Amino acid sequence: MVHFLELDRVSKTFGINGGAGIHVIDDVSMQVEEGEVVVYLGPSGCGKSTLMRMVGGLETVTSGRIILEGQEVKGPDRQKGMVFQSYSSFPWLKVIDNVRFGLKFRTDLDGREKDRIARHYLQMVGLAEFEEYWVNRISGGMRQRVAIARTFAAGPDILLMDEPFGALDAQNREFLQLQLRDLCLKERKTVIFVTHDVEEAVFLADRIFVFSARPAKILEEISIRDLLPPARDLKLRESETFFKLRNRILGLTRTQALRSEQIEVQGA
Amino acid sequence: MAEGWKSLVSFRGPERRGTTVALGVLSFLIVLALWWGAAALKLLPPQYLPSPAAVVVRLYQLFVQYGFIGDIGISIFRVWTAFLISALMAIPLGIMMSSYPIVNGMSQSLVDFIRYLPVPALVPLTIIWLGIGESSKIALLWLGTFFQLVLLVADDARRVPREYIEIGLTTGAKPRQILGSIILPAMLPSMIDNLRITLGWCWTYLIIAEIVAADSGIGYVIMSARRYVKTDEVMAGILAIGIIGLATDQAIRWLHRRWFVYLA
Repeated sequence: MVHFLELDRVSKTFGINGGAGIHVIDDVSMQVEEGEVVVYLGPSGCGKSTLMRMVGGLETVTSGRIILEGQEVKGPDRQKGMVFQSYSSFPWLKVIDNVRFGLKFRTDLDGREKDRIARHYLQMVGLAEFEEYWVNRISGGMRQRVAIARTFAAGPDILLMDEPFGALDAQNREFLQLQLRDLCLKERKTVIFVTHDVEEAVFLADRIFVFSARPAKILEEISIRDLLPPARDLKLRESETFFKLRNRILGLTRTQALRSEQIEVQGA
Repeated sequence: MAEGWKSLVSFRGPERRGTTVALGVLSFLIVLALWWGAAALKLLPPQYLPSPAAVVVRLYQLFVQYGFIGDIGISIFRVWTAFLISALMAIPLGIMMSSYPIVNGMSQSLVDFIRYLPVPALVPLTIIWLGIGESSKIALLWLGTFFQLVLLVADDARRVPREYIEIGLTTGAKPRQILGSIILPAMLPSMIDNLRITLGWCWTYLIIAEIVAADSGIGYVIMSARRYVKTDEVMAGILAIGIIGLATDQAIRWLHRRWFVYLA
């Protein structure tokens, strides 16, 4: 069977001149289907971001293969959209132009079509009335919504999100998680979302991959889809199932976080 | 009111534009008052320290009787010609240095070597090669600024966050498009600041060039006044450079605020 995205025994070692290098990813294999929201959960510095960046073609694979829609990933392109935690939008562009930037280099659309698409996604993230604002003038949460709108507008096949809500306060974060989950469902987008926040992972994911401390290995794969409904709301956070899932995963990650700390200290 | 005074001396306290301007004017007035007082009390003979009034009168005479405006004109022409040549060469090369390892590898140590040479040491060479005309002066100014500026520009470009470039890569931009639509606008505010600072250095080197070999320009006027111990004229020349520098700097700062409103 052909999968939408397939990681086949992927490893990564960052070379240090002359030295042994740092082994970051250790023999990771997984399959992701179209329209799935997959969360990579793991302690800081474990390599989960690197793995996602490899899917995006922003890092090379040391060994193994990454196949997206039947083609091996060789480098970054418009098929693989990215949302970052910081520097996620351009300060010299207004909100609407930041969203439109996602379409800037497409030659198959004319200007009016690009405007229409940009406005549509700005509306989807609820920022229509802020289109003429400079991004420095809006809140951090709104800036992340601008980045999400830009990435959706670009029309990628897969969305890669690197702790996009990591710098936001709790209320803002909940709201953006809700909005993102809703948007993914509506657009049927395949998403890889990287986080170290267990509740965020459970709330957003169809499937969670829990990673070990460096070098990152898949510790456990948890299918949330079988346990929680596809459409999620804030009440869900107070449900028994959510609570149990959260506690179970927390138990898994706690030991890894400790190990990760030790690795960091030894590495330094 | 008391609160306002307090904020002026509080550690990293807030700055208000009006107050900053007022303080700037005040600092000028204090220096002027000290100067005027010292001259009026004849702490030094007038040959050493002419009064502010004498200097201003001399400056006026320079304009009216000696065609000083022509000297100012030629000095500004030299500064801006050299500065623009430097900028037009340094901006593309600096950006290329930050973009391609081969360009950086080939230029980094060469630029560093030349950058550390004191400009006055190069005066004899520029005169031997280019004579004492305009070209040797412009070459000297260029030598003094280009090699500094190219590294500043390369650093500005390198400081563009990796994320910005990756946004470009993941929206299908080619390297050229990333340079034009991301790197250039992202680095522009700090680059304009560096250009402004480099323009100031041009004036330093200009005076060296004009003092060594010239028959026109502000530096030449200062130098010939020195020969006859016309201290008031020397100071009038210095005053003229200061005023031009201050005006240019403020003009560029003003443009900076207008162009980059999003930074406010």
